[in-house]
Amino acid sequence: MSENLFVTGVGGQGTITLCNLIAEHASDHGFRTSFFQSRGMAHRGGRVTGEIRIAENEDESFGPRISQDGADILIGMEIAELINSYSYLKEGGIVIIVNYSYIPSEVILKKKEFPSLQQAVELFSKKTKQIYSAVEQVNPVNLFTLGLFSAVKSSFKVESDIFSCISLEKTIMNKMKRNKEENIKAFRLGYEYGKKTKEIF
Amino acid sequence: MKRMISGNQAVAFAALEAGIELASGYPGTPSTEALTEICNFSKINDPSPYVEWSTNEKVAFEIAAGAAWAGKRALVTMKMSGANVALDSIVSVAYSGTIGGLVIYMADDPGAEAGMPEQDSRYFALLAGLPLLDPSSPGRAFHLTKYAFKLSEAVELPVILRAVTSVAHTKEIVEADYRYHPLARKPEFKRDILRFTKAGSAICVDQHKTLLDRLKLSKDVMHTHKINQIHLNGGNEKRGLCVISSGVLNHDVDEILSSRPGISSLKLEAIYPLDEDNITGVLKNSEGIVIFEELEPVVEMLVRSLASGLNWKGRIIGKLDGVLPRTGRYSSKEILKGINELEGNERQEEVGTKTQTYKHPITFCAGCPHRGTYVALNRVLKRLKLKKEETVVTGDIGCTILGMNPPIDSCWTEVSMGSSIGLAQGLALSGLKAPVIATIGDSTFFHAGIPPLINAAQHNSDILVIILDNGWTSMTGFQINPGTEEMLQGGNNRRVDIEKIVRAIGVDYLEIIDPFKQEDSVEAISKAIQAGGVRVIIAKRECALTALRREGREIKFRIYHEKCTFCRSCMRETGCPALEVKTIRDKQVMSIDADQCTGCGLCATCCSFGAINPADQSGQGA
Repeated sequence: MSENLFVTGVGGQGTITLCNLIAEHASDHGFRTSFFQSRGMAHRGGRVTGEIRIAENEDESFGPRISQDGADILIGMEIAELINSYSYLKEGGIVIIVNYSYIPSEVILKKKEFPSLQQAVELFSKKTKQIYSAVEQVNPVNLFTLGLFSAVKSSFKVESDIFSCISLEKTIMNKMKRNKEENIKAFRLGYEYGKKTKEIF
Repeated sequence: MKRMISGNQAVAFAALEAGIELASGYPGTPSTEALTEICNFSKINDPSPYVEWSTNEKVAFEIAAGAAWAGKRALVTMKMSGANVALDSIVSVAYSGTIGGLVIYMADDPGAEAGMPEQDSRYFALLAGLPLLDPSSPGRAFHLTKYAFKLSEAVELPVILRAVTSVAHTKEIVEADYRYHPLARKPEFKRDILRFTKAGSAICVDQHKTLLDRLKLSKDVMHTHKINQIHLNGGNEKRGLCVISSGVLNHDVDEILSSRPGISSLKLEAIYPLDEDNITGVLKNSEGIVIFEELEPVVEMLVRSLASGLNWKGRIIGKLDGVLPRTGRYSSKEILKGINELEGNERQEEVGTKTQTYKHPITFCAGCPHRGTYVALNRVLKRLKLKKEETVVTGDIGCTILGMNPPIDSCWTEVSMGSSIGLAQGLALSGLKAPVIATIGDSTFFHAGIPPLINAAQHNSDILVIILDNGWTSMTGFQINPGTEEMLQGGNNRRVDIEKIVRAIGVDYLEIIDPFKQEDSVEAISKAIQAGGVRVIIAKRECALTALRREGREIKFRIYHEKCTFCRSCMRETGCPALEVKTIRDKQVMSIDADQCTGCGLCATCCSFGAINPADQSGQGA
């Protein structure tokens, strides 16, 4: 059995870096890990997704992609792309929402409607009660989100949890080459935020 | 050594371990990072193989084939669309075969996650008569790339290594030594016109026979090396059921079969020539078979023809009976559906969970010079009272096609590399009232835009071609191309000048503009549209991101809130992602995200109220 983590955002948020950190962290802890990255539109404001599959058994055979209704955890760093990933969430899975909307020109010009956080929460309530939402956000948002993720994971006491705050901090220090302090700071703020508010709808 | 690498990187590291002495390719998602990795390796290591981004895939393939004919091991990389471009030479080289190991890496994209057709390049193996391997994971991509070089030399044929996006862009731990083992073979190429030329039908037919013999040999070699995994549960009193899967789906099948131990499986990675012994073994053991492969029924057709030859009476479930789709990427949903059908379970109703509410349009980056060109073009149409819905602008592959999206809304078509110019000629010849304009990027122009421009010049077509020259192949990750500044190209590369090419072709009407100088650009495009014959405008300005990475930014712009009337003209005309809405003292105003602004100043040219100006020295945006 693998634990499946679906991450989504838009270009510029560091979605792929966030996924790389999680995947390499799991892999370094001896878990069989695969990480699929959609890429190419990152600079152009397009949808970016990462699909991470983690299994305790090193010999476990699984494909690289998460199927519909297959994600145990869905992390959305942008509201519209979170909603676009709805079908991937498992019934009763965990949703972590960063309340950020990347609003393109056609919405500003009022040619199209843009979904709200409230709409997202209502939608996901059909599938799960485990919705965590950060109303604030700190930059860099990907490290902030990693902190949230760590807090949520530890509060759930998921089996074989390797994503504790201390352990992830080590990974950040080892893997991030630039802006270490800034990154650790955002990570800790995310973790504290996740611990304190635990806003479950 | 263990490292977490992608399928593309695995191909690169395996090729290095196999001792390649040359690698070439043209960038294209999802294949790009294979050659990028070798470029990165060669930049900092000695010895290292010769590596180049070639002008197009056909050229890249010919360079690799040339090296292989001289006895070297060579790798060539391309996306599926690029394989179409290289195909002419691939088919012909297959007739001659190879001497050194020659591996052609092609990446397909089921589900078209990166755009372009859902082409199944496995057909090329059937068409050219070449062995094809379809690795199921990055780890297998590593193993099979190394194997492909050995196979290529054993059977004297180029070998196609085909991966799908889900393998090319997935990272997992791959154990390897991550070193280059150069073979340092002495180059040798013996003149043999019976093998290396095609003059005369006797030569060609003989070569064709040789090709078929080599192909048969490759089947035997791959059979001996047990590339495919066959797992038969014989002797079951229940009727035997078997799953045949191909490439990346092998692991998804594993996952689902782990709870169904009674079902046999054949997991294919050696797709062509198909191992008939494997298939016959499966057929003899089974009454029902389901075949899982993404896109086209390539394996299915081969299996069905073999089964009918053997007069086999069981049931084959696949695409040709309409059970499984020929489009899109497969997930466990399709596999469960096929296995349910195989087990004779009741069909389950499919519940759609489509919830997409808003899809972000992809747009030009902040500061992209292409935005300036298209904004100028829009201004010209307005000035000349040309209706936008009547003025055809053909688009081309690469960043320039983003001119199709709002609020620019310029491009009408996107077909293949260089096609904007040929299509424009045809549209102009059809007698459309409004002028016809082609827009094409620099790398795309070098790749396949030159022949249609020569054609346009020769036939004196009535088109305006705008070459948006940003000096890089940006869409795929900022690779160099022939027009990149010489000092940024590295190696012994020389810069090739688009302007000189256009002049040499004999185009008399040529203007060069800087898209950030809007008034001049509008003037130049305006004149060009009204002139006749073939007209070329080169809109020259470096890619904002490469310039930014190298030089940083000098100035930014800001919007003075007190002057902003929130008319949103800046947004309406440019759609620049650095523009955002802010509420200041209960008043909505436009604002500029200082982190994104590169200081191009295009938005300032839209403002009638003088609200947008360069920021002061502190760089504070509004």
